[in-house]
Amino acid sequence: MEILKALSIGALFGIGLYQLLRRNIIRSAIGLAITSNAVNLFLLSVGAYDGVVEAYAKAIGQRSDALPQALILTAIVISLGGFAFVLSLLYVISARYRTGDNDEVKGLSH
Amino acid sequence: MHDALRILPAGTAQSATRRNIMTLLAILPIIIPLTGAAIAMLLRRRFQLQAAWAFGTMLTSFAASAYLLWVVWSTGRPVVYQMGRWPAPFGITIAADLLSAIMAAMVQFVFVFGFLYALGAKDKAVRHSTFYPLFLCLVAGLTGGMLTGDIFNLFVMIELVVISGTVLTAISDDRYGPEAAYKYFLISSVATFCLLFGIGSLYVSYGTLNMADLAARIAADPNQTLLPVAIVLLAVTFMIKSAVVPFHFWQPDFHTASPTPVSAMLSSVVVKIGVYGFLRLTTLLVPQADWLRALLVVLGIVGIIFGGLGAAGTHNAKRMFAYSTLAQIGFIHVGVGWGTPLSLAAAILFTFNHALIKSTMLMLSGYLASRAPVKTASFSVIRGTGKYAPLAGVLFFIGGMALAGIPPTNGFISKLALFQSGVQAVQGSDFAATATYWVPLLLLGISSIITLVYVFRALMKIWWEPFAQKSPEEKIKPHGDSLLAPGLLIAVCLVFGIWAQPLLQLTQDASAWIRQPQAYVQAVLGEEMGWKR
Repeated sequence: MEILKALSIGALFGIGLYQLLRRNIIRSAIGLAITSNAVNLFLLSVGAYDGVVEAYAKAIGQRSDALPQALILTAIVISLGGFAFVLSLLYVISARYRTGDNDEVKGLSH
Repeated sequence: MHDALRILPAGTAQSATRRNIMTLLAILPIIIPLTGAAIAMLLRRRFQLQAAWAFGTMLTSFAASAYLLWVVWSTGRPVVYQMGRWPAPFGITIAADLLSAIMAAMVQFVFVFGFLYALGAKDKAVRHSTFYPLFLCLVAGLTGGMLTGDIFNLFVMIELVVISGTVLTAISDDRYGPEAAYKYFLISSVATFCLLFGIGSLYVSYGTLNMADLAARIAADPNQTLLPVAIVLLAVTFMIKSAVVPFHFWQPDFHTASPTPVSAMLSSVVVKIGVYGFLRLTTLLVPQADWLRALLVVLGIVGIIFGGLGAAGTHNAKRMFAYSTLAQIGFIHVGVGWGTPLSLAAAILFTFNHALIKSTMLMLSGYLASRAPVKTASFSVIRGTGKYAPLAGVLFFIGGMALAGIPPTNGFISKLALFQSGVQAVQGSDFAATATYWVPLLLLGISSIITLVYVFRALMKIWWEPFAQKSPEEKIKPHGDSLLAPGLLIAVCLVFGIWAQPLLQLTQDASAWIRQPQAYVQAVLGEEMGWKR
């Protein structure tokens, strides 16, 4: 189970980072969402290293830590708001430049 | 609450209640602007009332943080507030020791002038109904990040700063506002991921998120595998936040495109959250990590040279000061990296003085942009506009002197303190160690000269060269933004340059405090006693 988690975190992070570095700005925004999910999964595995039953169950030694789940909840809410805002920014930018290519969006460089 | 009162004897209960009310002081600088932002949002249809309300809120909040600083300094004890009365390692702690209290008071002091400038600004962005609420959120997040004693809460506060800063830039008058905002958001999201990974690594190794508790547990067991990973991730986060050189590329764009009152705040106090993070990291969490301090010295020096040269080659006044921030932050990081009592004090002093100077200079650039025919601080447009703004010229000259560190300004005091700490450190060490101080000292001197070069370049371009009228309709506007806020700030700069003793004393006390992390740990973890008894 841990191997599976580690592999999926690594895969998600790799895909997210790859998309983040793409030239298309919409792809990079999607990369942002994927990477934030990789981070959330990492936080989940921080708490649930030997969790078989839910938090606050009676079985000692088997329950997951509830705190990282609260942390993930906070992180999800924040990244949701941020992602919505980024999409609206992308709408403005792509409407102005008529392209989604990172290299064409360069008004700031002069 | 009731349990504690029932168990304690009557007299103790009363004094405990009184003490609890005093601890509420630590949260006031965060809660006042947040509440004010919510109410300002309700006033969105009545612009004048909203602006007045926001300014009043900011003044009240600054009064609270100044009183907090006074209480912490005069009683010699940190003010610690446990949210919801949950005992320390489990709940969220708001802990104001002298460093946090100074930082919070500094942020709110500079923000008072930011609001003052916004009240007199002619930008369209300032008239946006969400401007003042977001500006209040920005100050709440920043103060919260500096006062919090919980590392996850630090993440939440940093996110608040990022989101409000991004939105404020996106509504800017500058047509590249959304683009700059997007760029900043993307990079600060990467910083956020690093921070979250770092927090996760610390939590899995030490099982706590409370900074004081973490410090105690790291000191007891510094050989966890994930500790260096976590430290590197946190260091990367704070480097992105404070625009240290390899992570600086978002900063000049972002600070140029945002509305003037906002960019004055971003470049002066918002980058200081990273400096604060490094101060906490190198003194509280991992005081044994010498490699981190060495890295800070090296990157600080690179930043000083790079920022100075970058500023000397720009074509935009706002952009020039954004690059200059890279250099000045480099000075602060060298001070933090040396880590001697005097150099830490000098770093805190430099942080304070730089915030005052840099916000003034950006406000003056914004003022010139508001007078120019087209609203931009590009040198090709504002060249020669200075002839019609003599008062701004005087202020710009004094501010430039302060930036370069020439007496009688506060910039001189902070540079003098930093040099003195370096020279003093040289005297007590052997030759090999001496080189780590002499080389930076030499470069600091050179960089001060570079500062003079770019400030005078701007002065000449704006005030000495004639105004180039490209077409007959192109005229300098008769009225621009109000000069009240930069004028007052320059006065403050001069006051702190001439009457520097209290500030020097304050920063030296703060440096003595942060060099004893066990006192901070005790103050945070010890408060639970009244609850447990």
